[in-house]
Amino acid sequence: MAQRAGQKRKVVEVPRPQPDPQEEDELDAVALNGALEDNDSEEESEGSEEAGLDEDEDEDELEDDEIESDEIPSSEDEEDVRAQVDKLRTNDRPNTPPAKLMGSDTAKDVSSLSPETPMKQLGQEGRKRKQLLRTEVDANGEPRYIYNEIEPNYDSDDSDFLVPTNTIGNIPLSYYDEYPHIGYDINGRRIARPAKGEALDSLLDSIDIPEGWTGLTDPNTGKPMQLSGDDLEVLKKLTRNEAPGEGYDPYPDMVEYFTGKGMEMTMPLSAAPEPKRRFVPSMHEHKRVMKMVKAIKEGRIRPYRAPTEEDKEQDDAEQDFASYDIWSNEIPRPDHPMNVPAPKLPPPGYEESYHPPPEYLPDKQEKETWETQDEEDRERDFLPQDHSALRRVPGYAKFVKDKFERCLDLYLAPRVRRSKLNIDPESLLPKLPDPNELRPFPSICTAMFKGHDGRIRSLNIDPQGRYLATGGDDGTVRVWELQTGKQLRRLRLSSSEAVNQVSWQPSRETCIIAACCGENVQFIIPQGDICNPQQDRRSREVLDSGFGYATSNPSKTAAGVDKPSSANWLRPSTTLQDKGVLLTLTLRSTPKTLAWHRRGDYFSTVSPSTAATSTAVAIHTLSKHQTQHPFRRLKGLAQTVCFHPSKPLFFVATRQRVRVYDLQQQRLEKELQPGAQWISDISLHPLGSNLLVSSYDKRLLWHDLDLAATPYKTLRYHSKAIRSVKFHPSLPLFVDGSDDGTLQVFHGNVMGDSLENATVVPLKVLRGHKVVKNLGVLDVEWHPREAWCALSGYM
Amino acid sequence: MAATTDARPERTAQVRIHLTTRSDDIQLPETGPILVPTELRRYQLSTLVNRLLETTQPVPLEFLINGQFLRTSLDEFLTQNGISAETTVNVEYVRALIPPLHVASYEHDDWVSSVDVLSNTAKAIRMQESKRKALYAPRILSGSYDGMLRIWNESSEVVATGTAHTSAVKAAKFLTPTVVVSAGIDRTVRIWKHDYAETGYEKGSLAPTLELYGHKSSIENLAVHTRTSRILSASSDHTIGLWSNRKNDLPAAAESLLPIANKRRKLSNAQQCPQRGPLSLLQGHQSQVSDVCFDEKDDTVAYSSSWDHTVKTWDLTTSACVDTRTTSQSLFSICHLSDAGLLATGTSARHISLIDPRASATTISAMTLRGHTNAVVSLAEDPRSPHQLVSSSHDGTCRVWDLRSVKQGSGTERTGESVYVIERNSAKGRTKRPEAGDGVKVFGVCWDSTVGIVSGGEDKMVQINKGGE
Repeated sequence: MAQRAGQKRKVVEVPRPQPDPQEEDELDAVALNGALEDNDSEEESEGSEEAGLDEDEDEDELEDDEIESDEIPSSEDEEDVRAQVDKLRTNDRPNTPPAKLMGSDTAKDVSSLSPETPMKQLGQEGRKRKQLLRTEVDANGEPRYIYNEIEPNYDSDDSDFLVPTNTIGNIPLSYYDEYPHIGYDINGRRIARPAKGEALDSLLDSIDIPEGWTGLTDPNTGKPMQLSGDDLEVLKKLTRNEAPGEGYDPYPDMVEYFTGKGMEMTMPLSAAPEPKRRFVPSMHEHKRVMKMVKAIKEGRIRPYRAPTEEDKEQDDAEQDFASYDIWSNEIPRPDHPMNVPAPKLPPPGYEESYHPPPEYLPDKQEKETWETQDEEDRERDFLPQDHSALRRVPGYAKFVKDKFERCLDLYLAPRVRRSKLNIDPESLLPKLPDPNELRPFPSICTAMFKGHDGRIRSLNIDPQGRYLATGGDDGTVRVWELQTGKQLRRLRLSSSEAVNQVSWQPSRETCIIAACCGENVQFIIPQGDICNPQQDRRSREVLDSGFGYATSNPSKTAAGVDKPSSANWLRPSTTLQDKGVLLTLTLRSTPKTLAWHRRGDYFSTVSPSTAATSTAVAIHTLSKHQTQHPFRRLKGLAQTVCFHPSKPLFFVATRQRVRVYDLQQQRLEKELQPGAQWISDISLHPLGSNLLVSSYDKRLLWHDLDLAATPYKTLRYHSKAIRSVKFHPSLPLFVDGSDDGTLQVFHGNVMGDSLENATVVPLKVLRGHKVVKNLGVLDVEWHPREAWCALSGYM
Repeated sequence: MAATTDARPERTAQVRIHLTTRSDDIQLPETGPILVPTELRRYQLSTLVNRLLETTQPVPLEFLINGQFLRTSLDEFLTQNGISAETTVNVEYVRALIPPLHVASYEHDDWVSSVDVLSNTAKAIRMQESKRKALYAPRILSGSYDGMLRIWNESSEVVATGTAHTSAVKAAKFLTPTVVVSAGIDRTVRIWKHDYAETGYEKGSLAPTLELYGHKSSIENLAVHTRTSRILSASSDHTIGLWSNRKNDLPAAAESLLPIANKRRKLSNAQQCPQRGPLSLLQGHQSQVSDVCFDEKDDTVAYSSSWDHTVKTWDLTTSACVDTRTTSQSLFSICHLSDAGLLATGTSARHISLIDPRASATTISAMTLRGHTNAVVSLAEDPRSPHQLVSSSHDGTCRVWDLRSVKQGSGTERTGESVYVIERNSAKGRTKRPEAGDGVKVFGVCWDSTVGIVSGGEDKMVQINKGGE
């Protein structure tokens, strides 16, 4: 025993080489692990072996608990106790001075004690301990006891070997964070920091948490604290509330109540045949019955007792109670507001009779169909049945079910009365006038103008509304009688280039057709009695007036140098002059569209294919033979232009935008964003406040110029690109022509006072134009007064 | 009578009919209602009436009940229209109109814009003042888009041609058997002298005698009045010209309207006709005037139709517009029906509207004749019956209408349907009528009792249709 206690304190001083820290860590960890285990086993063995040292044991255990619970090791106290225990174990003498000092090597203890004292004590025990410890002189010249190292082999009975105890005192372990060790053991040797493992190891540990992992660190050893399997089991039971109370014996002795010796059961059934007496009437009973019969006959037994007065009263009272009408005095109350009356059933018919006429009875097939039908699909929920008499009618089989369903209905009926809005869906639609009230509008094809070869790119009706001018791929300009479709004139302008645009000058006094053919704009006075001599003379004057102006006022730049003109106004060849072409304007690029100002003096051409955007749009003055390019630089590719009917405004449509310029102020007035990818045509309402934009992406956009820059209405009815759109000059109509070969006629009424919105009503889809090579209607045009429109396409 | 029918139940049902007519020559003596079996058809009824009339030559008759022609048996008609057989049915009988059959077609070089007929029964002869009424072989005058006037005889030979017009002729009429009036896109009204051989089928001649200038734009139509030698021209310069065929009556033509003197042309036209101006120009229309006609009874009244949707009544003595009736469509043709006192107008809305020109009339349109599928551009009255007319349309058909065949349409509108449809002979083989009358448009029609219905059109043909007599 004493030896063992001595061993406890022993620290073997091994001259330790300083290995590289990692190796040291590993080694230490192994050693400490083993030490912990040893500690446990030691405690156990102590408990079982030494019953007499109960107190100390308890204390010891307490200490252990403390250590476990507290992070800061109180090594001093522990050492104290340990020393006492050692003393008890090693020393017989009860009055020995406290052994506190013996094992303590804290600085305080050491300093407070004289160096002799331990020596003296040692002297008393010296002989015994001689082989256990040796004395050395430390750095201060004081003696130092070095205990022998205990070999933890099997021979050793040092079961209560303690781990090298940390002696740093009551300071947090974190003070040692920057050192490789965590404290000092009793021999002043460094206790190496247990292996923490590399970051990867800790990560791995965190990934697969080993069983019993607590995440806590043993404050004594710095090692992670693990729970053993038994501990886990206990914890598990605690969490499940399976922990039994005190005095519960989990393994009681078995008491054999039903089995075991002397408890065997005998079989209750027997194979013996039934005795005869079971089948034979009992003579004894017969006798007794006969006795009673005799007694009744003789009047000794009366079958009923005569009712007494009391009985009668009681009967009456019962009767009264049973027939008491508890509702007799009820005051009728109004129905609950949420009252759900039972559905009113129609009066029963013949087929519901118990004995219906034979024609109401279902035949076999009807019966079958009724039976095979789903319950919800049945026309009636019963089959008429014939009963010869009322008394043969069975009870109503579905009574319970019906009542249950009624209860279910009441139970499930909504308790809140929802007010249902009675809105006629028709009333939500915007009110559109009937197309029949919006007559006249074009509805039928009345004439076809046949003669052109290839595409007819442009057409125009003269201001009087009698003639139609067309121009097409065959390089000819033709004039037709509008009503009959008779070709009156044909004029070949070019054999190779198409006529892109024909347009009558908007004046009643003259009769001039402007035709864009190639890079030229030709001015034609149609011959052949289409215009009268007055008109002819006036037209010639208009066309010739510019020649004098151009020569007398040559356009000059500020420097006085002749401006290089971008356009040439020339007289055509005499052959053309004979045909009626009296003026040729040659531009540098191919003009695709031509728009006249309402007075007929100005017109604008657009050449989308030109290289320089500045020359794409040109405004020409017919009376001065002048050509101006109003835009120094134009954003986007110009598509088409138009003049405002009353104000000096000029509309330029590029591929995606429509810009409105004030020609007098020379500034941008407005920019419209139709949102179309590629604008094909624009048309301005005769009042000038609404603009229609058609686009190649199948949309027709209505812009109200007084409103936002975005469209007021988008009409998307065509299945293919829209080529052209036109407002009627006088009637509230507009029409668009598309590549799908249809024209769509709309009623578009614009109010004069800008208070009311414009109404747009689709009126008619005019079909019948053939689609050739994916080209349908190329151009549309209105008659100036009538609701007639002309369209052109591929012939 | 009812008792007798009851007594003989095996007899078929009978109905009481009341026969009436509006034609005086076939008026029945007042008989009261007669009882006829309901299985009777048109033919049986016709023989019955003929027997009652005691005519030597049976007159084919048609029967109208409630404005509908009887085409089935009486019984079927009554059941179809829900008329009780116990009431007295008013049956109007009219001279049967024989379906006009194609007689001949005269081929031209270009579209035929107008036709006129000269025969013994033609208006130009009937209205002549002179007592000397020679018998004429029928002549047909046609104006064409190639600027030529042609006079044909009945054996489809060109008797005479006139080539003074510089562009398409749009209207041509016989003023008298020897005077022809024509007008066209070249803004002139030309008077021609037609020398015809008395014997008939010889070559005649057609020589211009007068050029009338006054219009600023093409002339669409002409109207002539034989007795007063007045000519009316409807022009697309919104005016109507009033002219005479007598050179001395007319003022000189305005210089500005004369064609620009071209040296070459002057040389070719060595001998030139006298040029004259109008007696007066009737101004008032807002758009081009499409057609003009004289009142059949009063030669000082004329009616004109215009693209500005109006019909105007003109007093020719004062050259003033008396009355204006506005319709809802452009009007392309006009014809005065003297007996009914109505103006038939062909519209761009594909129907014929009968307009009451009297100032007291409450409704503008007395009746609408529906059936055409394109603009109605020419109208002519039946010379024999005041109740019938023929119309020609751009849809390629001529239609014959009977004003007595009336249905009460929706509201107060009364509509009529055509009795016969005359298709173009050139389009005979086709199963379907061409869309918009393409290629077969009919531009002019004329109805003469001797020759029949003459019409000319886009198929470059003058077509003659006649009902068998």
